[in-house]
Amino acid sequence: MDQDRGLKALESLVLGRGLCTMCGACARMCPYLETFNGRIVKLHECDLQEGRCFAHCPRTALDLAALNRNRFGSEEVPLELGFQKRVLMGRGLDPGLRGKAQTGGTVSSLVALALEEGLVDAAVLTQRGKDLLPAGRIVSRREEVLECAGSSYVASPSLAALNKGPWQGHERIALVGVPCQIWALEKMRSCELNQDAPARKVVLSIGLFCTWALSYTPFVSFLRRKFPSEVVEAMDITPPPERILRIRTSSGSREVPVEEIRPFVQPACTVCADMTSELADLSVGTVEGEPGWNTLIIRTSAGESILDRALARGILEVKDLPAPNAQHLAQASMLKKRRALEAIKQMEDGKGGYLLADSRWLERVRLGTEGGEQ
Amino acid sequence: MSLIKTDAPGQRLLLMGNEAIARGALEAGVQVCAAYPGNPSSEIIGTLSQVAEELGIYVEWSVNEKVALEVAAAASLAGLRGLAAMKQNGLNVASDFLLNLNLSGSKGGLVVVVCDDPSALSSSNEEDSRAFARLADLPLLEPSGFQEAKEMTKWAFELSEELGLPCLIRSVTRVSHARGNVQLGELPKAERRARFDTSKPILPVPVIWTHRLLHEKLEKCRKRFEASEFNLYRGPQRAELLILTSGAGWMYALEAISNLGLEARVGIAKLGTTWPLPEGFLKEQLSRSTKVLFVEEVDPFLETNVKGFAAQVQEELGPKLFLGKSTGTLPDIGELTPDHLIRVLKELLEVSYEPRPATYIQEAAQAASQAAPPRTLGFCAGCPHRATYWAVKKALALDGRDGFVLGDIGCYSLGMGPAGFFQMKTLHAMGSGAGLANGFGQLGRFGLEQPVLAVCGDSTFYHAAIPALVNARYNGADFLMLILDNSATAMTGFQPHPGTGRTAMGEVANPIDIEALCRALGVRVQSADPFQLDRTVELLLDLLQDGKGVRVLVLRQECALVRGKREGRAFKVLVDQERCLGLKCGCNRLCTRVFRCPGLVWDGASGKARVDEAICTGCGVCASICPASAILKEAI
Amino acid sequence: MLLEKDPWNLVITGVGGQGNVLASQILGQILVDKGYLVTIGETYGASQRGGSVMSHMRVSTKDQFSPLIPEGQADLVIGLEPTEVLRVMAPYGNPGTMALVNLRPIHPIDVIAGENSYPELQKVLARLKRLSSRVWILNATEIALEMGDPIFSNIVMLGALSALELLPVDQEGFASVVQRLMPGHKAEENLVAFQKGKLAVREYRET
Repeated sequence: MDQDRGLKALESLVLGRGLCTMCGACARMCPYLETFNGRIVKLHECDLQEGRCFAHCPRTALDLAALNRNRFGSEEVPLELGFQKRVLMGRGLDPGLRGKAQTGGTVSSLVALALEEGLVDAAVLTQRGKDLLPAGRIVSRREEVLECAGSSYVASPSLAALNKGPWQGHERIALVGVPCQIWALEKMRSCELNQDAPARKVVLSIGLFCTWALSYTPFVSFLRRKFPSEVVEAMDITPPPERILRIRTSSGSREVPVEEIRPFVQPACTVCADMTSELADLSVGTVEGEPGWNTLIIRTSAGESILDRALARGILEVKDLPAPNAQHLAQASMLKKRRALEAIKQMEDGKGGYLLADSRWLERVRLGTEGGEQ
Repeated sequence: MSLIKTDAPGQRLLLMGNEAIARGALEAGVQVCAAYPGNPSSEIIGTLSQVAEELGIYVEWSVNEKVALEVAAAASLAGLRGLAAMKQNGLNVASDFLLNLNLSGSKGGLVVVVCDDPSALSSSNEEDSRAFARLADLPLLEPSGFQEAKEMTKWAFELSEELGLPCLIRSVTRVSHARGNVQLGELPKAERRARFDTSKPILPVPVIWTHRLLHEKLEKCRKRFEASEFNLYRGPQRAELLILTSGAGWMYALEAISNLGLEARVGIAKLGTTWPLPEGFLKEQLSRSTKVLFVEEVDPFLETNVKGFAAQVQEELGPKLFLGKSTGTLPDIGELTPDHLIRVLKELLEVSYEPRPATYIQEAAQAASQAAPPRTLGFCAGCPHRATYWAVKKALALDGRDGFVLGDIGCYSLGMGPAGFFQMKTLHAMGSGAGLANGFGQLGRFGLEQPVLAVCGDSTFYHAAIPALVNARYNGADFLMLILDNSATAMTGFQPHPGTGRTAMGEVANPIDIEALCRALGVRVQSADPFQLDRTVELLLDLLQDGKGVRVLVLRQECALVRGKREGRAFKVLVDQERCLGLKCGCNRLCTRVFRCPGLVWDGASGKARVDEAICTGCGVCASICPASAILKEAI
Repeated sequence: MLLEKDPWNLVITGVGGQGNVLASQILGQILVDKGYLVTIGETYGASQRGGSVMSHMRVSTKDQFSPLIPEGQADLVIGLEPTEVLRVMAPYGNPGTMALVNLRPIHPIDVIAGENSYPELQKVLARLKRLSSRVWILNATEIALEMGDPIFSNIVMLGALSALELLPVDQEGFASVVQRLMPGHKAEENLVAFQKGKLAVREYRET
């Protein structure tokens, strides 16, 4: 195959067309790609015909069926929410964590538990840094997990931290990421170009629900314009249907309707067909109408076993997700897929569909969408 | 070391044209010599500086050419003989003073040597400095060889003194940077004492009066030129073709005539005194032939002036066919060669000439194109500029606002090409990067969102960038100025400058601290070692993103050649052949493909990088770019 | 001493930094001391930085020739770098031209960067042999490195030239010039380099 699958192709197919999700999967493996101030930066030209940067990217051609087969032993996974063992709602019981975390504190609780129990030696999390700039961080202690609690809303190249390390080579790693990052993780694990990639040491992936993420620079510029000379200290978006960006600044509380920040949603998110991190060991999101609770989708035995330990240790409480909530979740997921499909189809040059390679999936979404409307 | 102080009249030495000029000045009893280095003129003052102390003369590397000319002129005004030397661009800098000095006049012999660089072999422009002789109404001499360069320089001092005018000598690369036999003359012993006559101020005013006086002096000069032995004719009494030439053209014309066997058919009139024109001499020569070919380098200076003169005397001379640059007979750009002349004469005189078989030409050309890969200019192994541009490239990429670097003249000019990763985007005069940045730095109000950077070297900073920095600070231009301090005027041969702590005479001087100067101006200044790449990138980003107004970053690391001469290598650098993953590494040969230091080579056989120990200077910078940590540096 | 041909034209070529200029200066002064008229034209300046450099030397008993050799008139090309000799042969070589070659390659930056390839040494020599009447070779850089500094390569080459007996260049003449041009200990080391070059040179014969 003569087709270029290196940095030049990544530039022409992804970076140059606004399809980069800023997941960080391509960065800091080689001397050519770096992340800086919410951008993937090319430092030098690279003419390799085949590169990890291209192979890892969640926006280059993707064979979802193959990934599902690798992951779950079956290509026939439910269209709406992906492969699942159990769907629950839960919340962390540690008040220290719950106060910090966005909703139920489930993710922080699980990561802290995995570290404490020695299931993993380290975890790659996302931390919001100076000027709201998020970045990946490698943590190994509970206090560090707490420092990373809370949602970023701004796309974070956290996988660059996984790429870069430093790793000693024998760690077992947990990773928390949004759907594009979980996809990239699976591509990294199955990439033939890097047999000893840190991604292969990830033993627990916790996927977050995600509808979109914001582009760093335009969003921060917007905040600076809107609240000049105020320092943003904390930020949260209330769950639907309210959907308000609540900001705590040095001068007090501020509220911004989500519609106002929607222009800063990454263009790359409009073609994303995964809301619930369908390839993760377990996925975590909010529960509409139940503040303080998280939805949990347990997908693998690794996900199951960490949940069981958490329950055994009394760190988490769970209950069944009520049927209307489950139904609503599935509808929301299908809505994202449908929109993605539309966006992919509308890409002018027809090359935009990273999922176009997977015609069966496309067909299913199309049928599923039609089915949903009946 | 130069042999120009050899006190043995009659002895023959192999001297560079520039050394011959220096020797001529010594034989004329010069006492004050000043220049700013610039090829192809640098060796004039360079060699004089080596003998200055012993011979009791004063030699100075001045901060720029205007000051150099003023220093030499001061000697003249105090009754001594003074010499200023510069390249073509330098005369542009000095011209403001020169075009007042012509009116005020000089006293002791004052000679201004300007070395032009046809084909710009080591220049950023191609310029014919002879235009300044016309512009300033000053006498102009053009040496055609080495002995003549010495004799002419010596005579120029006498002429200058006699006329009370500075005298210009225009040399070219193929005279200044070539060597030939020179027979030495006497070195004078007596030295003049300096005194300025306060009763007679030296002024260019009243201009109408001094301008008339200048023209009178030039007329007097013309008469002296008529009898000059530097103008000569070689050839038959009447010739089928008369070549009128000056400078290196004389040597090429002789060569061509001898190769083609045209001695009986073509005559050569050589002018050593090219402004004002020796009209009597010219009239005599022009009458030898109806066909005249002008052979001169860069501009059609003789061609235009002589044709103008010939028009005045056309009734006496009769019709002439003038050939030269204006007729396209010879190229009007670039330097001449004997081959140019051979080609033209072969055609004009219809003779045959085949220096070698056509099959040989073809095979030799093929061998060169197929087996002699071209050599792109690059920074030397261990050059700090490579590290600097590497850091600049990274910082600008990370910054992401399409920032750009405005540059000027120095080794770092190679930053415009692959050696400097194409970072430098403008190249004009000394200090012009900083000057342009003053303008770009005001364009934010008109929508310019890109960060503006300027680079200049240490020597260039003192030469021409300080006024730009003052302007920037006062008028509030937004830019980041990088001063690449390699502690030498490296491109021209490591001459000292005000930052180096020594003078042309070899004396210790208190260096002028760049950072202190910036601080005194109220400019934010920081410094770093460009070999520390990460730190440099960090500082660059910080200075790019933070703050308004002009900021200065001094990137200080000694020129690898200077350091190498003094103390050899800092590190033994080697590539660990186990750790280097070669083509299997994801680095895609960063060290050799992108970094491009000549000391690191790619070993095709092993498919890995290795150090060429004959070239590596041991700076160790490459060790910090290898992602596999395969490049090792061991302190020596 | 009369020259076989007058002027006798020599090109010394190499890469910036190899000491081309010094070699031509020393050789020229040796010949001037012996009564010849010598002109040297040098192409350097910005080309110090990794570029090709070239000195043209005209040796004559009759006249001071121009600093540029006309097309096809080189009698000998001394190459401090092998491919540079081929480059010089294109404009200045003729079937009678001889060549003296230092075998140590210096890879151009474009080759280092992988944009071009450096030819096999044997192929360079074979091509050169076809273009010249005689070719002599030695590894001057290796000899200089054994002496502790590659800077001596140019002097090793002058020593090699002296062994060819094409020009009246001998050890005495060399010693006299370097003693005038260089401080004592440097002159000593250069004499050693000169001798080593004289012994190391051999004629290239195609195998």
